[in-house]
Amino acid sequence: MRFMMLMIPKGYETAAPGTMPEAKAVEAMMKYNESLQKAGVLLALDGLHPPAAGARVTFPGGKAKVTDGPFAGANEVLGGYWMIQVKSRAEAIEWATRCPAGENEIIEVRQVQEMADFPADVQAVVQKYPEIRPHMNSAT
Amino acid sequence: MKFMIIVKASKESEAGQMPSVERITAMGKFNQELIDAGVLVAGEGLHPSSKGARVRFSGDKRTVIDGPFSETKELVGGFWIFNVKSRQEAIDWILRCPNPHLGESEIEIRQILSAEDFGPALTPELREQEERQRAQSAAQAQQ
Repeated sequence: MRFMMLMIPKGYETAAPGTMPEAKAVEAMMKYNESLQKAGVLLALDGLHPPAAGARVTFPGGKAKVTDGPFAGANEVLGGYWMIQVKSRAEAIEWATRCPAGENEIIEVRQVQEMADFPADVQAVVQKYPEIRPHMNSAT
Repeated sequence: MKFMIIVKASKESEAGQMPSVERITAMGKFNQELIDAGVLVAGEGLHPSSKGARVRFSGDKRTVIDGPFSETKELVGGFWIFNVKSRQEAIDWILRCPNPHLGESEIEIRQILSAEDFGPALTPELREQEERQRAQSAAQAQQ
């Protein structure tokens, strides 16, 4: 089973562009990443720039509309993620609890949809298109 | 430059409702365009937050909270990773994206941090370690 561990750092919603973690925090996180990697569960990970440097696209009345960050009213934004391969939801949660996260951070654990989770008619449509995942593997 | 394109959850996605065959067909075509242009690095959908959990951190204490989580508009429904030349190119792609949900949808475009962005916090040793981990994880993902 694949799970995403979504890092939600409180306060990041208003962080200035270019905000970076301290060297000590980076080192602790890299040790944790290494433990995930050594256990053979880590598939991918990335950190994100603050939302102040991002944008949101909404579709009011079916027409796309762009809003630049930071986003007014947003009180939870993503700071980064890990994609892990584990045997159970409990194992994914166990890994999340071992993260050297701070008081202001929450990790959300969410299962990734696999093809087998979709009904047969949906699978038939999707199979007409090439697999996306091999691209992920070659590019990371 | 790599960007994470976050498709926010909707009432339907949080209810575990599958998109219609028409919408999946439209999205399949869009994915195909992204692949043909060499833009698409990865893409996944997530199960509803009702099947998920959150871990809160306080000192040495860890608290696990089972889903669902109420802020549907802030929840992640799925994502793409794009490799493009600029922020504007990422936005231009999303302007051509079929509306991912039945009603209102929101897609967030966020640049992914690269090793250069960390500055001196990422020492040469840590950077070497980081690159090695990425290579090993990529090999893991291929299995």
